[in-house]
Amino acid sequence: MAIDVEVLDDPKHHRYVLNMGPQHPSTHGVLRVLLELEGEYAMELLPVLGYGHRCHEKIAEHKPYKAFMPNTARMDYLGALIYNHGYALLLERALGIEVPERAEYIRVITSELNRIQSHLLWYGAYLLDLGAFTPIMYSFDDREHILDILEDVTGSRLTYCYFRVGGVSRDIDDKFVTSTRAFIDRLRSRFPMYEGLINGNIILQNRLNDVGELDRKTCARYGVTGPLLRGTGVAYDLRRAEPYSIYDRFDFEVPTETKGDCMASFLVRFREMEQSLRIIEQALDGLPEGPVMAPKVPKKIKIPAGDYNCSVEAPRGELSYYLVSDGSDAPYRLKVRTPSYSNLSVVPEMCQGMLLSDVVSAMGALDLVIPEIDR
Amino acid sequence: MDINTVKKEWQSIAAAIEDVDYAVSGYDYSVTLEGDKVRDFATMMLAQEFYLVDLMAVHVSPLIEIVYQYAHVETRCRVMARAFVAENGEIATISDIYQGANWHERETRDFHGVVFTDHPYLQPIILAEEDVDLKPLLKAEAALKDVDAIRRKPPEPKPEPKPKPEVKAEAKAKPAADKSQEQS
Repeated sequence: MAIDVEVLDDPKHHRYVLNMGPQHPSTHGVLRVLLELEGEYAMELLPVLGYGHRCHEKIAEHKPYKAFMPNTARMDYLGALIYNHGYALLLERALGIEVPERAEYIRVITSELNRIQSHLLWYGAYLLDLGAFTPIMYSFDDREHILDILEDVTGSRLTYCYFRVGGVSRDIDDKFVTSTRAFIDRLRSRFPMYEGLINGNIILQNRLNDVGELDRKTCARYGVTGPLLRGTGVAYDLRRAEPYSIYDRFDFEVPTETKGDCMASFLVRFREMEQSLRIIEQALDGLPEGPVMAPKVPKKIKIPAGDYNCSVEAPRGELSYYLVSDGSDAPYRLKVRTPSYSNLSVVPEMCQGMLLSDVVSAMGALDLVIPEIDR
Repeated sequence: MDINTVKKEWQSIAAAIEDVDYAVSGYDYSVTLEGDKVRDFATMMLAQEFYLVDLMAVHVSPLIEIVYQYAHVETRCRVMARAFVAENGEIATISDIYQGANWHERETRDFHGVVFTDHPYLQPIILAEEDVDLKPLLKAEAALKDVDAIRRKPPEPKPEPKPKPEVKAEAKAKPAADKSQEQS
């Protein structure tokens, strides 16, 4: 909400600098935002990054291609499988490896479960930021089921390293299929409860409506993607726009809203969970039998000289791996474009002149994951 | 967006435009720019409603290369625009055209030491302030490659092996001929 400039010219108002973070609960990780406040209004914002920098891009240059897979999961710990997916696709494209059908289906099912899990965590944590304590109990309850399902098949609960170049590390079993189907029914039955309890709540409406408005052009100038961009009315989802893997075979919608405020991206994310469920359902119905690894993947990968790019839709927006190869067995340069980095860069413009409490609403709507910003 | 009109506009400032195979490389066009044309190109891309995906540097010999990645939300059109920095390690900022480039340029300054002229706030972003001269992604001299070494090689090697069997056949034929001569 913008404020009257004449009020600000009043000498009675004074400005002071406040650190929000690095341990502030609503920054969800070690992010610091320097705020120049005038009363309760944030006049200037300067995000300070890098507390969790681990040089992933430098590490990549010193490892064989396959050995970098675990690192991808540690950038965005909530979308680990989707980060796996992007990296595996990048190498498969460059080498021309065909992934078996069954592996493609497993990848899609687990990636979409991962996306729902990420959205559920955001849902609970965002509402907690806004002062509602109960929702996180419900959403974590649901999220726990996904973690159990994925733990059975991948062996870990958060930083998965399940995908391999040419397939996935192990096959799924009947238990996975039945528990995933049970989870779909369960989450579907919970949506009306969430809608009744939270989405229609008048306090939530007032905290989110007309706060942190973005428009299409601002998004283009900053490279904002994902649910924030879809909240401005642009149906841009890389699963549709540049269909990778087998996403072109499924029938799903790309939810959009028009206002571009926090409520818009809130609703977009909420509806995306249902679309992910639809994709999982179709994939389970069409799941073919067969191997889960391509037969002839070389043990030591060497990629022909040149540059390669792979962009996939992560829970927070566009994830892009850009690889420059000199023909050796390690990347010459690997750049990871993470969605939160570009999404956060819009904050100084988006939040200028906002109430401090609205800054919390607006930053929560970005669904920040700090380790993927710092890399 | 009509790709042909867009490409015509690019041709007015680009040094070279190359169509790239999406199925292998994951992008559609490679645009080579002179170092002083990056701002003109960014202005053009903004007018054509492209968004800036990424901006990064690759350390090659003799100069550092900056790669700008653009994409479009309506049509699949992913563009890599590349330009070399000047010999003093400087290149013009595009952060006043694409504000999102601001942080990417600061990051590139951190990792490669590239100076973006007229950048409003070229301070360390990922690295700590005391590491301003670290430049961790610059290659050691032994690992530094020439720019040709990282360029895609045209798919020629397949026709090459053909002449070899002929040479072998000749080589085989010759001793046989020699033998026949000896025998005679």
